[in-house]
Amino acid sequence: MDELDLSIRTYLYASFVETGRSSTPPETAGVLELPESTVSSAYRRLHDAHALVLQPGTTEIRMLNPFSAVETAHRVEAGGRSWYANCAWDALGIPSALHTDGRIASSCPDCGESLELEVVGGELLRGRELLVHFVVPARRWWEDIGFT
Amino acid sequence: MVFLRSEDHLARWLDENGWEPGASMTATTLSELARRWWWTRLEPDWQPRPPAESQAILDELGLTGPFWQLG
Repeated sequence: MDELDLSIRTYLYASFVETGRSSTPPETAGVLELPESTVSSAYRRLHDAHALVLQPGTTEIRMLNPFSAVETAHRVEAGGRSWYANCAWDALGIPSALHTDGRIASSCPDCGESLELEVVGGELLRGRELLVHFVVPARRWWEDIGFT
Repeated sequence: MVFLRSEDHLARWLDENGWEPGASMTATTLSELARRWWWTRLEPDWQPRPPAESQAILDELGLTGPFWQLG
């Protein structure tokens, strides 16, 4: 991953944390004063390097892990803002990435009941009794990261 | 992966979807995994983490064996 790709990635994360939405290649190209084709190519390389996840066949960002650019069942509030997470792991990852406390609103996929978790000072204080299940083994996580 | 209320809810969810059981942990363990895994994600000098370091994070939490091997 070269310096250009890293700088674009850094901008994408900072922008997403700030605004809650992902930046398109034209938007990123405008801010960073780069050709749009250069930025689009960088998005694809970052996807191939698992540094972000694009919607299939597009340059539309789906995931800036642990953040999700699309609505999911996992909503995280931290520092007065809120974002969607891709999964249970990522939901707990957002307070970690932000180095702050956070509250997670999710639901049990079996019964549909609402679940609430809270991370304070790096520790899970609410929701400690809940279970998490990994269906896909680690070596196959990136075969279909959306399902994982 | 998802949060579930209990082992009973997990068993029904797997059965309804026709999935083989994978690996379970408490949300407490996942919270510690998430804290270690994502801590550096927004740092300005972030670099991709070598797979061996990712594997070490799993190992340190006792997530060992074939299911948890990254490659």
